[in-house]
Amino acid sequence: MTIIIPIIIAALIVYAAIKKVNPYDAFAEGAAEAVPTILHVLPYLGAMLMAINLFRRSGAMDALTTTIAPAMNFIGIPPALAPLAILRPFSGSAALAMLQDVLINHGADSFIGCAASVMVGSTETIFYTVSLYCGCIGVSKTRYAIPVALISGIVGAVSGVLLVRLLCF
Amino acid sequence: MAAVGIMLCCLNGNGTDALTYMLEGADSAATLSLSLAGSYILWMGIMNIAKRAGLIETLSRLMRRPLRLLMPNVGEAAAPITLNLAANFFGLGNAATPFGLEAMRQLNKQAGGVDFCTNEMCMFLALNSSAIEMLPTTVLAIRTACGSADPYSIVLPTLVSSVLAAIAAIAACKLFERGAGRR
Repeated sequence: MTIIIPIIIAALIVYAAIKKVNPYDAFAEGAAEAVPTILHVLPYLGAMLMAINLFRRSGAMDALTTTIAPAMNFIGIPPALAPLAILRPFSGSAALAMLQDVLINHGADSFIGCAASVMVGSTETIFYTVSLYCGCIGVSKTRYAIPVALISGIVGAVSGVLLVRLLCF
Repeated sequence: MAAVGIMLCCLNGNGTDALTYMLEGADSAATLSLSLAGSYILWMGIMNIAKRAGLIETLSRLMRRPLRLLMPNVGEAAAPITLNLAANFFGLGNAATPFGLEAMRQLNKQAGGVDFCTNEMCMFLALNSSAIEMLPTTVLAIRTACGSADPYSIVLPTLVSSVLAAIAAIAACKLFERGAGRR
């Protein structure tokens, strides 16, 4: 599994050479666009991570979690996983740190541990992705992108917990 | 969101905390950009080799028809969208981002340069956020590190629930599209 991607890359380079494309020049040409892309994305990334960090560290996130936890319990997400479910769309690294926390406290093979793993695996850092992708092309009106992504995230999380209960326990 | 955070900090009597938290966020943006730079260079370079060799065009032609079912005006973005979803599927999260940005650029070009998310962009973002992954590599690594006896037990439920999430995303997109059209 781990050697498939490198093999594809090697094959690509050979194929390019056969096609009389200089792989070195082509690579450098493409890589040259990486720097402007990053510079373009950095301000949006900065603004977003600043806001997210403020929201989390100021205690606003905790307040939100306590408020929403009963509603989450209602749709099938255990209270122990509510903070993880709320954090997940905002920050990937924070969600992974929290997953580790849950696995250590509840056990990696417990129901809570497995449900937490599935939840993290089947959802995405929605707010991060949407603002990064839209910011990069200068699109400010996201229309229904966020609601749709949230619906998909909720379905992923709820069905994930349900499937763990059905398949693993 | 930032305003709520700042006000809470002030209410707690620690105005300086707000500044610290903001700086922390900006700091992580800077370090994240630097650590992403490497994978951007790698994958954008490789994508360009494929483009020069004519493979991107081939992929684009192949995938345009199936993708058109979801996004009628997919155009040249078909190739980067495929690469983005494939990178996610194989657990190469860092490679997915440059492909995704390229896809958004192409979709924007296709729409003639707009300042709002087209139906195609919304669909792409929705597919992206359902995170279909064959091997959720980071989660597996954390499970192993936390002493799981069977770290792989979560692979099947993860895959199934992300497919369900994708189906929900597509359905929701189509519903919103119709609603937006009527307005």
